[in-house]
Amino acid sequence: MIEATGLVLGYGDRVVLRDVDVALGAHELVAIVGPNGSGKSTMLRALAGALAPQHGTVRVDDRPAHVLSAAERARHVALVVAEENADGDVTVRDAVAMGRLAHRPWWRWNGGPEDDAIVDAALERVDLTSLADRFLDTLSSGERQRVWIATALAQQSPTMLLDEPTSHLDLAAAYATLDILHDLAADGAAIGVVLHDLNLAVACVDRVILVGDGTVLADGPVDAVFRSELLSRAYGANIAVRRTTDGAMIAVPERAVRRR
Amino acid sequence: MTLTLRRGLSLAVLLALLIVAVMVGIAAGAVGLAPSAVWTALTHPHATGDVAAIVWALRLPRVLIAMLVGAALAVSGSLLQGMLRNGLVDPYLTGGSAGAAFTIAVAIALGASPPLFAGLAFVAALTTTLGVASLARSGRGVSPERLILAGIAVSALFAGLTTLVIMLAPSASASLSILAWLGGSLVGHGWNDLGWAALYAAIGTIVAAAVVPALNAIRLGDTRAMALGVDMERTRWLTLVASSLLVAAAVSVSGVIGFVGLIVPHLVRAMCGADTRWTVPASIPAGATIVVLADTIARTAVPPIELPIGVLLSLLGVPAFLFIAFRRRRAA
Repeated sequence: MIEATGLVLGYGDRVVLRDVDVALGAHELVAIVGPNGSGKSTMLRALAGALAPQHGTVRVDDRPAHVLSAAERARHVALVVAEENADGDVTVRDAVAMGRLAHRPWWRWNGGPEDDAIVDAALERVDLTSLADRFLDTLSSGERQRVWIATALAQQSPTMLLDEPTSHLDLAAAYATLDILHDLAADGAAIGVVLHDLNLAVACVDRVILVGDGTVLADGPVDAVFRSELLSRAYGANIAVRRTTDGAMIAVPERAVRRR
Repeated sequence: MTLTLRRGLSLAVLLALLIVAVMVGIAAGAVGLAPSAVWTALTHPHATGDVAAIVWALRLPRVLIAMLVGAALAVSGSLLQGMLRNGLVDPYLTGGSAGAAFTIAVAIALGASPPLFAGLAFVAALTTTLGVASLARSGRGVSPERLILAGIAVSALFAGLTTLVIMLAPSASASLSILAWLGGSLVGHGWNDLGWAALYAAIGTIVAAAVVPALNAIRLGDTRAMALGVDMERTRWLTLVASSLLVAAAVSVSGVIGFVGLIVPHLVRAMCGADTRWTVPASIPAGATIVVLADTIARTAVPPIELPIGVLLSLLGVPAFLFIAFRRRRAA
């Protein structure tokens, strides 16, 4: 659904990432991981068409992203950003209803009954129906994250890209969020999600893209990417990969391992 | 449901207040008219007599101009505050009033004929605002920060030049005329000026209506709006075009009337919430009511002198606004 080849990404004269070749297909839940400032979010924005690459092309559903209008792009790719400030006096339902914006002419103020039904279904899917009339600033971080996911769901685009949707979430809420994404992928969506927490990624996704050293260091199934030498190189620290007694993998910095 | 109810009620109250303000505005003046007389005159446009003449030739055009000025400035303020997500933004921020003030000052100093002023002010306001918008264009489109900086810089430049013209004006009466224009006044405009201003304001309002959904999405953040399919570039330009037309239409028939465009959006948000689909329409009756009432007070408070309406609005409005703002903060 999204295919990027030979991307060079950056801001002004500064290059953040080069030689980025990644693809994201239907039914896939892919985590993008890497250290702070490695360019994960930059890559996500470029894949969503919100940032023009300095070189290379992004193809969205077999069309070059740069020829798509903002509304066309929104119908193909939904981008969920966690860190941007939203006004607090928007109701949950109004926020989610904005997901329908790209499905009507841009000057039309309101959607029709079919849009309302889609909004209701999106609220239901992330369990927000009971909070629909609340203002955003009365919600917890986890509830707000679900609002952004519901907004993206209302967009009904086959691809959803999420930038750290689990930041500020407690363990249970983070796993619940990943569960929702897992179900969406199972239903056929292509989902790329930037995750800060390696262990959350390894527990929840099928494929991992590891970003570091200004490029994509590895891209493949969890087993192939979660290797001590790759992670250590990406994070610039010794990182060990261990297995818990029930076989699950965890990544631990060496210092923590020694202390144990 | 309660939110929708509150919004509907607020809009109904604003419309009712506007009707009252219009009736008072037509009835009050050097010759006081009874409400029934006003009603009779309004419903019989072809009647003759003193009352009909006062209503149709003097009071009605003036009240309509006041409505237009208030509505245009308030809508323009709502649009710009929404686009920049900043409640400190005033429609004059983009330099429209300063550019028009300088042009009118020069015109008065050179002895141009007053009937030309409306057209001149309109062209100057529109050119200045669109000029500021072009200055704000960076590589990736109109940047909000550059827009504010360019607007402040250009306004300061024209304010300086206007002061210079006032000081160098050929006569004291020319200087006073310039000051009167700067103080805001609805004197001396008839149906003709109203017609042109209404035309431009109507175009501005239609453009404004078209950007309302996009401005509403911007409340979730610029990146989110973009991801939801909002063309930010188009939205910013159309908002600036709409706001420029509205400000230019207002300035052409009123001179500089401050405060309305800054404050009315706040009042409307306090009543209806911040949804642009409500703030923009509700700004129309709210802005219109305030300017109609202010103009009525300006021309009836100390007869036969007419107070500058801009000055009056600052004197009455600013304390009222501070009261509301600080009371809200305490409540919050």
